[in-house]
Amino acid sequence: MKNRLLKNVILFFILTAVLVSGLAVSKQALIYTSAAQKKGGEDQNYYFHSLSDLNGKRIGVQTGTSFDVSVREKLPEAKLEYFNGKADLMAALSGNKIDAFVVDEVVAEIFLRESNQVTYLSEFLDSYDFAPIFARTKEGEKLRDEFNDFLEQLPEGTLDQLADKWFSEDESEKTMPDISELNNENGTLRLATESGYAPFEYVRNGKVVGYDMEIAAMFCEYGGYGLEIVDMNFDGILPAVQTGKCDFAAAGISIIPERAESVLFSEPNFSGGTVMVIRTENAGENSSVGTGDTDNAMTDSGAAAEEAKKDASLWDNVRESFDKTFIRENRWRLFEKGILTTLVITLLSVLFGTAFGFCIFMMCRNGNPIANIVTRFFMWLVQGMPMVVLLMILYYIIFGSVAVNGVIVAVVGFTLTFGTSVFGLLKIGVGAVGIGQYEAAYALGYSNRQTFYKIILPQAMPHVLPSYSGEIVNLIKSTAIVGYIAVQDLTKIGDIVRSRTYEAFFPLIAITIIYFLLEALAGFLVGRISINFNPKRRKESEILKGITHR
Amino acid sequence: MIRIEHLKKTYPNVTPLKDVSVEIHDGDVISVIGPSGTGKSTLLRCINQLEKPTEGRIWLDDLEITDPKTDINKVRQKMGMVFQSFNLFEHKTVIENIMLAPVDLLGKSKQEAYDTGMRLLKTVGLGEKALNYPDQLSGGQKQRVAIARTLAMDPEVILLDEPTSALDPTMVGEVQAAIRDLAKTGKTMLIVTHEMHFAKTICNRVFYMDDGMIYEDGSPEQVFDNPRGEKTRRFVRRLKVLELNIKSAGYDFLGMVGDIADYCSKNQIAPKLTNHIQLVFEEVTRILMSALKDPHIHAACEYSEQTEVAECSICYNGSHLDITSYDDDLVLSILKGVTENFSYTWNEGSDYPNQLKLTLR
Repeated sequence: MKNRLLKNVILFFILTAVLVSGLAVSKQALIYTSAAQKKGGEDQNYYFHSLSDLNGKRIGVQTGTSFDVSVREKLPEAKLEYFNGKADLMAALSGNKIDAFVVDEVVAEIFLRESNQVTYLSEFLDSYDFAPIFARTKEGEKLRDEFNDFLEQLPEGTLDQLADKWFSEDESEKTMPDISELNNENGTLRLATESGYAPFEYVRNGKVVGYDMEIAAMFCEYGGYGLEIVDMNFDGILPAVQTGKCDFAAAGISIIPERAESVLFSEPNFSGGTVMVIRTENAGENSSVGTGDTDNAMTDSGAAAEEAKKDASLWDNVRESFDKTFIRENRWRLFEKGILTTLVITLLSVLFGTAFGFCIFMMCRNGNPIANIVTRFFMWLVQGMPMVVLLMILYYIIFGSVAVNGVIVAVVGFTLTFGTSVFGLLKIGVGAVGIGQYEAAYALGYSNRQTFYKIILPQAMPHVLPSYSGEIVNLIKSTAIVGYIAVQDLTKIGDIVRSRTYEAFFPLIAITIIYFLLEALAGFLVGRISINFNPKRRKESEILKGITHR
Repeated sequence: MIRIEHLKKTYPNVTPLKDVSVEIHDGDVISVIGPSGTGKSTLLRCINQLEKPTEGRIWLDDLEITDPKTDINKVRQKMGMVFQSFNLFEHKTVIENIMLAPVDLLGKSKQEAYDTGMRLLKTVGLGEKALNYPDQLSGGQKQRVAIARTLAMDPEVILLDEPTSALDPTMVGEVQAAIRDLAKTGKTMLIVTHEMHFAKTICNRVFYMDDGMIYEDGSPEQVFDNPRGEKTRRFVRRLKVLELNIKSAGYDFLGMVGDIADYCSKNQIAPKLTNHIQLVFEEVTRILMSALKDPHIHAACEYSEQTEVAECSICYNGSHLDITSYDDDLVLSILKGVTENFSYTWNEGSDYPNQLKLTLR
């Protein structure tokens, strides 16, 4: 027993090591490939001098933004590719999956500071205004008007000062009022945002901060509201406001007519333009590229750092990534929170799902036709629906009118799916016990109920448990989508950190390893249970407990 | 006492039990015999309600088992059942299999159940296997454990449904011995079995079942040695029967030859005997067809597997016609040569008054 455990542990560590080194090597390979491409690019005079050069190229946009509309208008030949976040866009660009991507100029500035591998064409693709959004309801309208009043009364130049502060380089200057100290005499407002959009909104030291956030905080101070920031996927923001899950949203949302049909915009709180981010190697000497005010020095040092990076050993690379992902700004605390959330969702869903699946199994067991029809319909519905859709429906429609924590909704959703899996497993497991076992028990005088619990279930368990542990592993993995309903689980934390560090792969590898560890833990626990449930592993003393042999 | 009245069981496609009414007395040891598919197992399973009867009523003493208000679980505690496929609880040790029901259902202490269990295990010769799991036992051992498990509940009635049918021939003996011991305890028993010799020696009463009914109910001496019914006789003597009815001169004789050949090969009748049976049928019918104006012939052949003897009987209509007296006929002398016995009888008043009997070996 001990030996087997030891073997498993060793095997697990070997696997982990292989995984880490494999991914690290692939990362290294990526750096070299992009370097090689750089050369090749120069040879072929593959330059983008202006926006029109990008027509016909592959352009990345973030899902949920309106940038794809601008691209289609200005560059009708371009091939659009959709990505979920900035970190993915960066990864795609450096991996040569796309030739350019669209972001706000302000955001593009940040990219330039982070990496000298990219730059942007200073020509605006489109200009736009940002504004917070409100629900198209009476309350929404009232709050919108109040927000407009707030903007009106701001002293001249306040927004510009804010912009200067948040768009500058010095992180220490970017102070944010403490929203927990707001006076909430008129209630607390829930603000929907997506924290992957520095400098407008991003996570620093475990808190969502940024230009939009400070304005929102100022507004709440003005109106006498408390503020609760709900961080979610960008796709989820509009429905969150429409259904009243959140009172308003500020997430660098540009004002476009189509959106204005479904939500209310306040007066703009920021005006800017979108630009195309491209690889530095594609920027010709004559290209008009954005440099930023203080960027030259940065870029030089960045380039130096980049050179150093290439010479640095694999180990140093990994160490630097580790530092960025976990140590800086105490980001490990975020991961800690994410792991906890994932664990809580998984554990509760396993517990409730098992109970739920068992209950419906018991109701259907004796062939009650109504229970069976209802169950079959329910299974068809839950199992056939993509998990994301189920969660969205639960969050925005079923629990739409109640202020309920996303974690609870996630637990409800995964309880439903896990319950159906448990139901299926029980059906198979119990079905594997022969009819003769029932008959023998009945013939001895056992009732239907006693027969099930005493004779059938103990024999079904060994059939059920191996697949059960597989279902738990599946569940842990599928919780990765709860970011859609504003839950910050492990994956979402990985995304948040990625959107700060622009490390394309390391956070992914890190969370993958954590998932593996969690799955191994689950497997181990269920393994212990199945040993306890295996009647043939009992000791003689256990069997003959309380009996003296005469 | 078990009283059964007009018991009937139908499934969508078949009716294994048509109409059974019988009284079983306390202490009766009854062998239920008969061809397969004639409702023997269904009768047993209806008695302890593993099958719900379609019609009819069953009483155990004064309690109507078939009454929906009766607590069938309590009744079953008094009615043990041994299955063809043993059905031991695979997740429990041998001793636990035996202890389980007395502890759970009769409220016995574990110690008490263990002591009884060990005693019963020793009587079936398996005291050493107490802590083994069923999958570590041979078929014969499993069945003996199953018998001990049934006995642990101290039932008034024991139903044994083909207890030795699933066993290797080498293991049949050990289980039969255990049942034989059981039969001496005075408990009421019903045993469905195909082992005739075993059935005959163990019981005091035999049900011969055929076609969903109890066709003959009597003592073993009666049923096995002097069966009253034709079907019983054929069954207990293990006779294989071929029947042919010739109703006109246009009968398909070639078809008849084929039928006889099929019958003989199916019952593994020796080639020589097969030839003789075919010869007898062909020649006798040929003679009769030419002698009778309006031929109606009923011919039967009964082959006994035990003695390897075929008894042929050929009955026909018309006035007194003894073809054995045609002593100058060459064919007849050949027939007399191959048969052990060739006789003629006249049965006045019957539809087929003329009867020929031929014994072939």
